[in-house]
Amino acid sequence: MRTYNEELKFVEKSGPCGYHIRKGFVDNMKVEGYFYANKALEKLMFDELKQSCNSKGFGGFLPGMKQIANVAALPGIVGRSIGLPDVHSGYGFAIGNIAAFDMSDPKSVVSPGGVGFDINCGVRLLRTNLHLRDVEGLKEQLAQCLFDHIPVGVGSKGIIPMTAQNLEEALEMGMDWSLREGYAWAEDKEHCEEYGRMLQADPSKVSSRAKKRGLPQLGTLGAGNHYAEIQVVEEIYDKYAAKKMGVDFKDQVCVMIHSGSRGMGHQVATDALVAMEKAMKRDQIDVNDRQLACAHIQSVEGQDYLKAMASAANYAWVNRTSMTFLTRQAFAKMFNSTPDDLDMHVIYDVSHNIAKVEEHFIDGKQKTLLVHRKGSTRAFPPHHPLIPVDYQLTGQPVLIGGTMGTCSYVLTGTDQGMVETFGTTCHGAGRALSRAKSRRNLDYTDVLSALANQGISIRIASPKLVMEEAPESYKNVTDVVDTCHEAGISKKCIKLRPIAVIKG
Amino acid sequence: MSEKTRYVVIGGGIAGVTAAETLSVITENATITLFSASPLIKTVSNLIQLTQTLETFDVEEQSFTGLKELNNPVQVIHTTVTSLCAKDKQLFTADGKVIEYDKLCICTGGKPKLISQDNPFVIGIRDTESVQTFQQRVKSANRIIIVGNGGIATELVHELEGCEVIWAIKDKSIAHTFVDPGAGEFFMEYVNKVKDNTQEGVSKRLKYTTEETNRKSPVQSNVMGSALGPDWATRLQIHGPQEVSHRVHIEHQVEVQKMISPEQFQQLSMTQTVLDGSVVESSTWPVYVQLTNGKVYGCDLVVSATGVEPFTDLFLPGNDFDVAADGGLKVNSKMETSEPHVYAAGDVCTACWEYSPLWLQMRLWTQARQMGCYAAKCMVAAAKGEEISMDFCFELFAHATTFFKFKAINFFLLLVILLGRFNGQGLQNDYEVLLRVTKGKEYVKAILQNGRLVGAILIGETDLEETFENLILNGMDLTPFKENLLEPGIDVDDFFD
Repeated sequence: MRTYNEELKFVEKSGPCGYHIRKGFVDNMKVEGYFYANKALEKLMFDELKQSCNSKGFGGFLPGMKQIANVAALPGIVGRSIGLPDVHSGYGFAIGNIAAFDMSDPKSVVSPGGVGFDINCGVRLLRTNLHLRDVEGLKEQLAQCLFDHIPVGVGSKGIIPMTAQNLEEALEMGMDWSLREGYAWAEDKEHCEEYGRMLQADPSKVSSRAKKRGLPQLGTLGAGNHYAEIQVVEEIYDKYAAKKMGVDFKDQVCVMIHSGSRGMGHQVATDALVAMEKAMKRDQIDVNDRQLACAHIQSVEGQDYLKAMASAANYAWVNRTSMTFLTRQAFAKMFNSTPDDLDMHVIYDVSHNIAKVEEHFIDGKQKTLLVHRKGSTRAFPPHHPLIPVDYQLTGQPVLIGGTMGTCSYVLTGTDQGMVETFGTTCHGAGRALSRAKSRRNLDYTDVLSALANQGISIRIASPKLVMEEAPESYKNVTDVVDTCHEAGISKKCIKLRPIAVIKG
Repeated sequence: MSEKTRYVVIGGGIAGVTAAETLSVITENATITLFSASPLIKTVSNLIQLTQTLETFDVEEQSFTGLKELNNPVQVIHTTVTSLCAKDKQLFTADGKVIEYDKLCICTGGKPKLISQDNPFVIGIRDTESVQTFQQRVKSANRIIIVGNGGIATELVHELEGCEVIWAIKDKSIAHTFVDPGAGEFFMEYVNKVKDNTQEGVSKRLKYTTEETNRKSPVQSNVMGSALGPDWATRLQIHGPQEVSHRVHIEHQVEVQKMISPEQFQQLSMTQTVLDGSVVESSTWPVYVQLTNGKVYGCDLVVSATGVEPFTDLFLPGNDFDVAADGGLKVNSKMETSEPHVYAAGDVCTACWEYSPLWLQMRLWTQARQMGCYAAKCMVAAAKGEEISMDFCFELFAHATTFFKFKAINFFLLLVILLGRFNGQGLQNDYEVLLRVTKGKEYVKAILQNGRLVGAILIGETDLEETFENLILNGMDLTPFKENLLEPGIDVDDFFD
């Protein structure tokens, strides 16, 4: 085990807000690691590493830097393993890590940990032509109204009825299903990554347990990080791009929907992790961390996962589309108008947890890559063929949801991002520690004596990871967005402020 | 099929109303009739789905018009069903009518197990009527003995004000029906705290009561009204004559030996146990209770909150129902009883299918709702000749409730969430416990078997429910994480995003 100072020899500052992680930081690194951070954020990264050196690593939790380096050791990785400013510890891959694998290299792998459990967790932003003053007195009612419309109950009471047959079709068709059923507008699809449908989806590769878990949750928000927010425009940084998105004035009302594939995504990921652990033995794939279970892209396990993942991604789009439908209904009802007259178009819909096949330039050569984006957002530059006509001149809109109740941002993709980060930027605030603060005062004495005579082994949690930084500053969304802007991998366009939050 | 299918539901509680509402949504060509012995029915509102299997809701009492009808109308009939002839598919009511059905769902709930029948000083709390009786009687009571350790008893102890409370429990720790002794200890802090009464909002419960229940109803005295809902005590004023908020004395590991009248007390020249710190100077009480630890307490009232037993009396004669050891009607994985075309849901039934390893039956609101909904689906599937697979909510036991409401910094609800084998039920001590406790804030207990999460108790604002539910359902090997899973510096919900 190296000391903290020995570890530091492998980490080297590069540019105003970036660090290289040199080969040798962990074993078998095929490429270098890299991460973005400003002053406040870099301290967090280094503190985390220091803590881990002192406590000789702990449990299954590795510091972000180590996780980025372990990913750089996966077979077939090209370019660099990249951490964005909001990077933090996650299962296998850190949240906020991007890694691309050469599709033409038979050794290349796909890893469920590089996508995450909540597959195609993402954010969608709807605009309206309403002004803050139009909703001010109504926001409580509006939030309640949205809530009333969110389907409830165990699969039956929803406004969006779903049968097992419906689910199969939704998994295969994504937003095309919503469109066919009348829950979406044709132009909504234009403003979604992949037009809201991954074509390689194959519902037969999704286990029946995953479908069973998915069925009752369709059209529901989810807990924790998932929410819908009524927001108003607080600041416009790029007038031209904002106008292209239909955002014209300060205090314009928008609605942000943050949700994913939930239980279904969890089951798809879990099923794949189990299958891949076996495949790794057979194909002799070695990784530094057991959480990085993976399979050759072209293997049966690799292909099955990609098809199931695409199905779960389609599910997530149907989910966000269902909630878009409900939001439009609620606004129309509240304002005695129609969603059309309220101009309730989808500005854009981004995916945070996904792996996609894309074309990129590596050392001047065009290559077909499988890009894993976990807790990060695709941010393609102007003129990229895969972004809609409306945004050809501005670059792809990137939606950054803050921690629930804090500010959110709209950014646009840049050419520099295409070169440096496979056209990717951050996804939002890292949330670690913010809520943990109140739990510091741990006290077990009375409770333990009450539990003692049961003859059961009891392990108690005690804080090992003590950050010197004040928790509230931990991965603040504004710091994260500013760092991406400064690094040039995305450009600030609009800042939004929440006025009402709806929790699932 | 031109003939309409006739669906009949008996019981105006959560299970019955949910079944009727679900039928209304999912049937096309049908008549739906709901029989309620009480003039009020229970409806679910503000349903919040916390996670896949967890939900919280408010229960409102409504007159019949409050029923949500989404598709087919539900005819609600306020009368008592007196008997059933399953062979002929006929029901008989108190007002002499005969009702024919195609599919019947029995949702008659339970009746309180009383520690002593026919003693005027013992009351059981189960339904709205009994809460009102209790409210009246408590006004003049100086001392009350509460027997039982379930949800109602726990809540009652907290809500009772202005009188002395002796709480007799058969376990070592409070709230034992729900949680482990550790969590009971965590709760202890709240038991004698000053209750916060500054809550705003109108009373949900009393909205209709005065007028409605004073009306002479044809309800027979042996038919229970529907059970209380979650939050039943929140806005009730349950106050005795004294100017104190709380004085609770707990007798652990005892049961009631016998009830003693003042006359007997005199005759046997017994002495009552002195209650420490008691301000009530009374030498004679209307009733005395002897506990199994030998102590004898006098009191004004004994509340029997020792749970309920399934209420099946009306249906057993003349029919061939399989009845489980706990007195419930046995139902299979399609909620069918042993009598053809007769279904049962909620407290009245006993689930006799092969359980998922992470599910168990408890007679709770959440399960009444889930069963009511699923029974309706099963009835419709059977009528249409379709196959139905068991609802996913029976995959994992999940229950959310609130205890001890206090205003801490902000309005603070002590949310209690139970998942899976939350007390290590059926694991034969072959498991590990991970624990994180901050006094007065949160209690997190995770149960691991073979490195897999199989159950949890989450109390307070932990925000862990969805992650834990997912980890349990994933069945993932968590061996490398172990106690670090609850490391306060790590947000596990984010880690497993």
